[in-house]
Amino acid sequence: MLGSYFKNIGAPGVYFPSLILLAFLAVAALVPNEFYLNLFFMIFMFAGMSGAWNIIGGYAGQISLGHAAFYGVGAYTSAVLFAKLGLPPVIGIFASMGGAVILAFIIGYPCLRLKGPFFTLATLAVAEVLQLLAVYFRGLTEGSEGLSIPYEPAWYNLIFESKNSYAVLAFGYMVLVLVITLVLERSKLGYQLTALRDEDQAAESLGVNTSRAKIAAFVLSGVLTALGAVIVSQYVLFLEPHSDFSVNVSVELALMSMVGGLGTAVGPLIGAAILIPLGEFLRAWVGGGIQGLHYVIYGCILILVVMFMPHGIKALVENKYQALIGLLPRFGAAARPQPEEEVHLHFESRETQAAKDGHPLIAAHEISKDFGGLRVLSGISFAVRPGEILGIIGPNGAGKTTLFNVLSGVYRPSSGRVEFDGQDITQIRRIHQVCHLGMGRTYQIVKPFGNMTVLDNVMVGAFCNQAGSATAREIALEVLALVGLLDKRSHEAKSLTLANMKRLEMARALATKPKLLLLDEVMAGLNPNEIDEAIKLIRDIRDYGSTVIVVEHVMRAIMSLSERIMVIAQGEKVTEGLPREVIADQRVIKAYLGDGFELA
Amino acid sequence: MVLLQVLINGLFLGGVYALISLGLTLIFGVIRVINFAHGEILMISMYASFFCFSVLGLNPYLSLIIVIPGMFLVGVLVDQVIIRPIRNAPSYMQIFATVGLSVVLINLALVFFSGDYRSINLAFAKQVVHMGDIGISLSRLIVFISAIAVAWLVWLFLDRTDMGKQIRAIAQDRDAARLMGINPNKIYMITFGIGSAMVGLAGGLIMPLYYVFPSVGAYFVLTAFVVVVLGGLGNMVGALLGGLIIGVIDSLSGYYLDPALKEMVYFLVFLGVLLFKPSGLMGMIGAEEMGLK
Repeated sequence: MLGSYFKNIGAPGVYFPSLILLAFLAVAALVPNEFYLNLFFMIFMFAGMSGAWNIIGGYAGQISLGHAAFYGVGAYTSAVLFAKLGLPPVIGIFASMGGAVILAFIIGYPCLRLKGPFFTLATLAVAEVLQLLAVYFRGLTEGSEGLSIPYEPAWYNLIFESKNSYAVLAFGYMVLVLVITLVLERSKLGYQLTALRDEDQAAESLGVNTSRAKIAAFVLSGVLTALGAVIVSQYVLFLEPHSDFSVNVSVELALMSMVGGLGTAVGPLIGAAILIPLGEFLRAWVGGGIQGLHYVIYGCILILVVMFMPHGIKALVENKYQALIGLLPRFGAAARPQPEEEVHLHFESRETQAAKDGHPLIAAHEISKDFGGLRVLSGISFAVRPGEILGIIGPNGAGKTTLFNVLSGVYRPSSGRVEFDGQDITQIRRIHQVCHLGMGRTYQIVKPFGNMTVLDNVMVGAFCNQAGSATAREIALEVLALVGLLDKRSHEAKSLTLANMKRLEMARALATKPKLLLLDEVMAGLNPNEIDEAIKLIRDIRDYGSTVIVVEHVMRAIMSLSERIMVIAQGEKVTEGLPREVIADQRVIKAYLGDGFELA
Repeated sequence: MVLLQVLINGLFLGGVYALISLGLTLIFGVIRVINFAHGEILMISMYASFFCFSVLGLNPYLSLIIVIPGMFLVGVLVDQVIIRPIRNAPSYMQIFATVGLSVVLINLALVFFSGDYRSINLAFAKQVVHMGDIGISLSRLIVFISAIAVAWLVWLFLDRTDMGKQIRAIAQDRDAARLMGINPNKIYMITFGIGSAMVGLAGGLIMPLYYVFPSVGAYFVLTAFVVVVLGGLGNMVGALLGGLIIGVIDSLSGYYLDPALKEMVYFLVFLGVLLFKPSGLMGMIGAEEMGLK
C-alpha cells in the first residue's frame, strides 16, 4: 500500500489529493482564529466518524441509525475511567474501542440477520436502550445532569491548551479513517461487502460468508466511531446521555455520507465539509434566537439529496475532477507511459479427476423436497462422473431449479442425501460453504452486482480461493478472456445486455475455480449465434477441468453438449440416458406433450 | 387487586400503542415503506388538537372531525410528494427520506411552537370510575375501545369493500393487481392517507392525557416500532395484540421494577423477538417481503 503510494506519487491522481490534505493539515496547525479552528475540528471529526459509519452503511449497505450507541459508549467509557479513576484517555481509548467491539458483536449478531429497514429499526432501539441505561446508572454517568471531564491539559489526557493541537489530532483521525477505507475498498472484504449490498444470495454462492463480512464491517465501523467519540468528548469536556446517545448523532453521521456519496471513501469528507460549516453558520447567524432551524435545513437537504441526487455530490463533480486531474502534469515514474495490461490465458487444465477412477463427483440419493404440503421433488437419485457434462431437462415446473437449489445448499432436502466429492453435504446450511467445497452455480434469473464493474464482479468470485487482490484480479481477467467479456471489464454490470449478464454469471462462478459447475438456463433468451458461442464456452469449461450440470430448454444446446441427459417431470425422475435414447423415449414425450401423442 | 389494577392500566396504555401502531403497520403492509416520520404525524395531530382547544375552544373529542381528515390529507401529501418519486428505489432511500422528513417536522415544530410542554386541561380526562378497588379512567377507556373498534373497522373495510379488496390485491402482488386494472398510485395514496388518519385519531384521543412537545412523536413511535415488529410487520391483528402486550409489559415493569427501566424491558423484548422470531408473533418468515394480512 505505502510502497505503491510512493511509486505513484508523481501521478496527478495521487499527488493532487495529497496536496489538498497537506493544505488542510497546514491550516489546522497554523490558523490562529478560534472560530475557524473549531470549524475545522468539527469537519475533520465528523468526516472521520461519518467515514466510519459509511463502512457499514455505505459499503455494506446496512443502514444503521444506532451509531449513537458506539458514539456514546466510546465517549462514556474513557470519560468515566478518566473522571472517576483518573485513567488517562490515551489508555482509556482502548477500553472505549474494546467496548465498541463487544457492543458490535452483541448488536451485530442478532441484527445483521435482518434485512433493510428491520436492521435500521433494531439499531435505533439499541441506541435508545443504551441512552436509558446511561440515564439510569447515575453512579457512573451522573445521569441527566451530565458528566464533566476535568480540564487537565496534557497529551496523554488528549486535552490541549491550543485549539491547533485539537485540529491536528482531528486531522490525524480523519486521515486514519480515510486510509482504512481506501485499504478496505481494495481488499477482499471490501469487494465482498459491495457485492452483498447488491445481491446477498449471489454473493453467498460465490463463497462470501455474508454474515461474517457484515459483522466484520460493523465491528470496524463501531470501533472507529468510538475512537472519534473519545477525541470529541475530550474537546467538549462534557457528556450528557440525551445528546451523546441521541438519534441525531446517528442521523448526522448517515446524512454526511449520503450527501457526499454513499459507499465512497471521499464522500463523508465532502459531506462534512459542506454540512458542518452550513450548520455552524446557520447557528451563528440565523439560529441564534431560533432553536432547531439548522436541523430543519439538514432535514430538507437529506430529503432533496435522496430525491434528486441519490449518488451524492461526489458523483456530481466526479467528471470535472477527473478533467482537472487530466490537465495536471505527471512527474517521475508515473510520467513514463504505462504498459498496456496484457492478459495471459493460463487457465491451466487441472488434472481431470476422471483419471482418479469411477467415483462420482456428485451423487444424489433419493432427494425429496416439500414446501408445506407441496412435494416439489420426490425421490430423485443420480450421479455425475468427474469431467462429465450432464444435461437436465423437463417441462416448466418440473423442479429443475429446486433441484439445483438443493444441490447447492440454498434449500435443505426434506429427505435424502447429497454427496459431493466424497463428502456428505446434505446438512450444510450455508451456501458459501458449498462454494468453498468447489461447487459453483449460476442463477436462472441473473443476479449481477449491478453497481460494480464486470471485472469487480468476477473478482468477488476469485476471492473465494484467494486472499490477495492482485492474484484475484489476474484470475478474474483470465476468466473474462475465456468467456469473451474482457473488453467490457470496466463497464458497470447493470449496463450489460442479457446475453452478457449470463456470461458474467458464468464467469463469476468460474472464477471460484469450481470442480462442479451448475448452469441454470444460461442460454434462455440468447439468439442462435450467442447459443453457439455458449455451447463452445461450456465445452471449454469442461476441458479446463470442471464437471458441468446444465439445466436447459434449448434442445439444440442440450443435445450437442450433454454426454448424458436426465429428464424430470413433476418432481420425479422420468429417465436418464444417452441424448438420442432419451428423446426417443415414450415416457419423455408423454411428459412434455401429454398422453395420446404418438411418435410418427 | 394491585395486580389487576396494573393489568388494566397496562391494557389501556396498550390501546394507545395499538392505535398508533395500526396506521404504521397498514402503511408498511401495503406500501412496504417504514414511515420513520409516523411519530411526527402523531405530533402534528396532537398540536392540531391542542390548538383547536386553546384557540377555537373545541373539545378534543369534537375536534377529531377536523383532525382526522386533516391527517388524511397530510398522509396523502407525504405520499405524493416524498414517497412517490422513490417508490421503486432501494429501501435505504425511503429510510433516509422519511428520517429526513421526521427531522424537518420535529424542528419546524420547535421553531414555531418552541420546546414547551403543553397540555389540555380537561375535567373529563381526569374522571375515574371506581369499581370496588379498581379505578378506570374514562378517557383511557375511550382510547382502548377506539383501538379495538378501529382495528375492527379497518378489517371490515379491507375485507368487504371494493377499495379494501384493491388494497389487499396491491399488497399481495403489485404487478398482478395492476394487470387487473387497479391504479397502484391511487391505492398507495389512499392507504398512506388512511394510515395517517388512524394516527391522527390516536393523537386527538391522547391529547387530553399527555403533554405535547416537538419530539413527542419520537417517544411514541419507537414504541410503535417495537409493537409492529412484535406483532409481525404488516399484520393488523398483530399490531393490536402487540400493542396490548407492550402496554401490559410497560405497566408491569413500571410498577414492579422501576419506571425508569420500563422502556428498556420492552426494548429487550424487541431484541429478543428479532433474535428468536424475527417474523413476529403473527407474521411469517421474511415479513419484509410479505404483504398485508
